[in-house]
Amino acid sequence: MTLLEAAAALRRREISSAELTAAALQRIERLNPSTNAMQTVMAEAARECAKQADQELARGEGRGPLHGIPIAVKDLFRTQGVRTTGGSKLFEDYVPDHDSTVVEWLRAGGAVLIGKTGMHELAYGITSSNPHFGAIRNPWDRDRIPGGSSGGSGAAVAAGMVAMAMGSDTGGSIRIPAAFCGVVGLKPTYGRVSRYGAMPLAFTLDHMGPLTRSVRDAGAVLNVIAGYDPRDETSSRRPGGNYVPDIEPSIRGLRIGLPENFYFERLDPDVDAAVRAAFHTAESRGAEIVPLRVPDIAAINTVARVILLAEASALLEPHLEHRDLFGGDVLALLDQGRLLPATDYINAQRLRRAMQYECAGLWARVDCLFTPTTPITAPRIGETTVTVGSENEDVRLAATRLVRAINPLGLPAVSIPCGADRRGLPIGLQIVGPPFAEALILRVAQALVPAEVPVPPL
Amino acid sequence: MNNDRTNTCNKDWKKIARASGMAIPDSALDRIAQSLDALEADFRPLVRALPPDTEPAIAFHAVLPAAAHQEAHQEAEDAE
Repeated sequence: MTLLEAAAALRRREISSAELTAAALQRIERLNPSTNAMQTVMAEAARECAKQADQELARGEGRGPLHGIPIAVKDLFRTQGVRTTGGSKLFEDYVPDHDSTVVEWLRAGGAVLIGKTGMHELAYGITSSNPHFGAIRNPWDRDRIPGGSSGGSGAAVAAGMVAMAMGSDTGGSIRIPAAFCGVVGLKPTYGRVSRYGAMPLAFTLDHMGPLTRSVRDAGAVLNVIAGYDPRDETSSRRPGGNYVPDIEPSIRGLRIGLPENFYFERLDPDVDAAVRAAFHTAESRGAEIVPLRVPDIAAINTVARVILLAEASALLEPHLEHRDLFGGDVLALLDQGRLLPATDYINAQRLRRAMQYECAGLWARVDCLFTPTTPITAPRIGETTVTVGSENEDVRLAATRLVRAINPLGLPAVSIPCGADRRGLPIGLQIVGPPFAEALILRVAQALVPAEVPVPPL
Repeated sequence: MNNDRTNTCNKDWKKIARASGMAIPDSALDRIAQSLDALEADFRPLVRALPPDTEPAIAFHAVLPAAAHQEAHQEAEDAE
């Protein structure tokens, strides 16, 4: 059941929040041992919150579509009185005294926070094979990674534990797990959703967004979490609006960019075929496909890596005297960042500005771009390299290759399921739009996917 | 932008780490040297091609300053 379907059932009194919450807790109890999607389950608090939601709904005090719906957030969103680890040994006993803005606004919208989802250590990686809290497993094949760093959120939503889990995305960390787990993952425009109270990885690249079982659900969540927050200096004052697309929206006349360079150069053939099929579907619904050359995405990826390495290492340097508290992959990245001179960071930010201007020209020619989210489907747990075409590629670099550049540009992007590979593993389509065009990319996404994403055989 | 990615890396990461007083074990530096060399090879040519008057995106905003200015101007006109 999607979030909006559950909300409608609640309004019709066909089900109560207490029942929805009990069912979610039951599913978590059954499936968490094999997926490890949930880091912390807040059963008692959730039951109490659901009871309160039912009482409010009975009094006619509805707070919107999230009211009474069980949800989860990645374990880097600070939650008052509830442990927030960031997937790190450093913070394994950290209990914040305040909520992050996202959590505060979700609670104000009546959502029932049922737990915190597991993640890649410090959100710094894409496998979610956490050395401290265990590997998170993909519900489609539990020998495979769910992607990351919001791997627990992707797995929890795919497994139907919750209809929505919040994630964060610094270089693909919402979109990659959405693609690998076969769910919808929305990275809004930088500034659209407050970062306040979410443990940072890289200040100028971090974005917060939902993973859901339908496109309309992602819009409904964005309606609640988007908006100006004075506690986040980069929060945008631009007014939002309604992000929930029509059930059958029109995309007639929209110009969809088909990148002629970079994005289709090195893909698993099943991914290539599925994404090209999405162009045909869009065209059959009246969209105009516009082949075009995109700016040098590899160069933007390089710039994004320099910024990420420098910002993450600056942030975590005070903790680096305790090297034993970090996993090997994260420690290697933190060491790399420390060795970059300050001039490289400044120059990366200068290049970023130049590339932002270069990319702005795209939106005169097209309304949005379609690309694969990842060149591959979910790799096996423990794999460090994958073969794409005839080349061996580092798993992290392969998984982030098509998504990373969107972060330094700050553009909104959504990953939606667009088929499966020969093994039945989900494939993701990435739809990228101009700044603050979340409503548009969600409308296009809604036109392409079924009302609810497929459920893995669990 | 000129994207000639000629590998010109001749940095000794161990010496850099020691000179900066970083307590990074040699074995760890050996593991990351290849990644740093590759990044250096990709990044340095981009920096060399950067126009000198390009300012950094220190306070990053997804909407470019020029566009934001234009938009504010439009809003003011609409209000009138």
